[in-house]
Amino acid sequence: MKSIELIRNFLAARQGIEATKVVPEALLADLGVDSLMMLELVFEFEDQLGVTLPDELESPKTVGEMVALMDGLVASQKG
Amino acid sequence: MGQRRVAITGLGLVSPYCGDLADFFVRLTAGESAIRHLRMEDAPQPLSIPFAGCPGFDPDAALGKPLVSMTDRFAQLAVAAAFSAWDDAGLPRAGDESREAWGVSWGTALGGTLTHEKVYRDLWLKGRDRLPPLTVVLGMNNAANAHISIQLGLGGVSMSHTVACASSTIAIGEAFRRVRSGEAAVMLTGGSDVPQAYGVARAWEALRVMAPGDAETSAAACRPFAANRRGLVLGEGGAALVLEDWDHAVARGARIHGEIAGYGTSCDHSHLVRPEAAGQVRALNATLADAGLAAADIDYVNAHGTATAEGDPVEIAALRTVFGEHAETLPVSATKSMHGHLLGAAGAIEAIATVLALREQAIPPTANLTPDTLDPACRGVDHVFSGRHGVKLRAALSNSFAFGGSNAVLAFRAVAP
Repeated sequence: MKSIELIRNFLAARQGIEATKVVPEALLADLGVDSLMMLELVFEFEDQLGVTLPDELESPKTVGEMVALMDGLVASQKG
Repeated sequence: MGQRRVAITGLGLVSPYCGDLADFFVRLTAGESAIRHLRMEDAPQPLSIPFAGCPGFDPDAALGKPLVSMTDRFAQLAVAAAFSAWDDAGLPRAGDESREAWGVSWGTALGGTLTHEKVYRDLWLKGRDRLPPLTVVLGMNNAANAHISIQLGLGGVSMSHTVACASSTIAIGEAFRRVRSGEAAVMLTGGSDVPQAYGVARAWEALRVMAPGDAETSAAACRPFAANRRGLVLGEGGAALVLEDWDHAVARGARIHGEIAGYGTSCDHSHLVRPEAAGQVRALNATLADAGLAAADIDYVNAHGTATAEGDPVEIAALRTVFGEHAETLPVSATKSMHGHLLGAAGAIEAIATVLALREQAIPPTANLTPDTLDPACRGVDHVFSGRHGVKLRAALSNSFAFGGSNAVLAFRAVAP
């Protein structure tokens, strides 16, 4: 599954947000992703893609930054 | 600050009958059971018990998906009941600075047991080495009151009470004291619980206090005070009340359902599960004294009445001691026979039933009880075998007698129409 699809599925299930609103420039905070929800999103991401995020991590602000982070980790850890 | 009168200006319920508050009381006084047969097929061993669920509860519709994703079902039932009570009180959901001293006092015996069961199953059976990050905040017992405070912008105390079957009676009593003392003009109170986690149901089963039942017999499985009683029936639910300083309520033109007049507690201090009349008598007398009521002023008692062999006769013995010569004419009923035992929400749903009885001047019966089936050991009070309408009710009590020997009683007064 592509990273953007994973984020869209997560936000649809948890926040009831339509996929069309989950675009790269959208701010995660505007989509209801606070610090707790970010932890859940990261957990889901690690769970589904089989990668591990480092503990020290600068939190992404936009959907695009989140996608880039996820794609980078998948490439480095699974590639 | 002197003692203030405390009005009940809001009532809210996630009803096992799937309807509104009026529908709840109509069905209750009609003696209609909300208990159905529950068969849990996805458990390690199929579980088959009578159970009073809330099949009409749609969390997404009541709360919205973002809040649902942050809550266990026990907190979802809590917030939904709180919203309902708040709306009933005519208070806007959006808060302002006037609510900085208003608070929440909530009862739950189990907290987020469904959450815990699900994640522990993954840990033990699937060999997972980590849990979803929300596990702690979904499962904690004070999640319900915390979410209510957040949703309604209440800046005063936000507390939970876990005292088994007396949890929400104690939650309501403690809220009552805060309003009566002048500490808070408004308190949102009540209780919620979700006992249908597989492990919880099995644990209750192991105590041998659960009534059996199948698809045909479950509706009549709970028979308090009857010689043929077989035990209690668990139920889930959320029930909430808005308690308000009387003058504050009058000043804003609020509808007043009734008055909460007194609260008393005690502990048997003798045994974890075997109730003692002496302890219950102390709680009943403490409540009457707190309310400034005499035994002769009480026109109805909503009994704890769980339909267990040990509990029912002890409660009647306690009532006979306290009410003396009035006991024989004291109407008593156990509405658990219809809505089941909601554990931490039991006191709250029964408080609502009692307030509605006073408001509507009608008494719900003990379902599944007749003069012929009445246990001789439970004689000595005026058992309500079928609903009574057009009665004169001035004041009433609601009893909750919990495992652990914790006893709590609330007194309510009717308000002149």
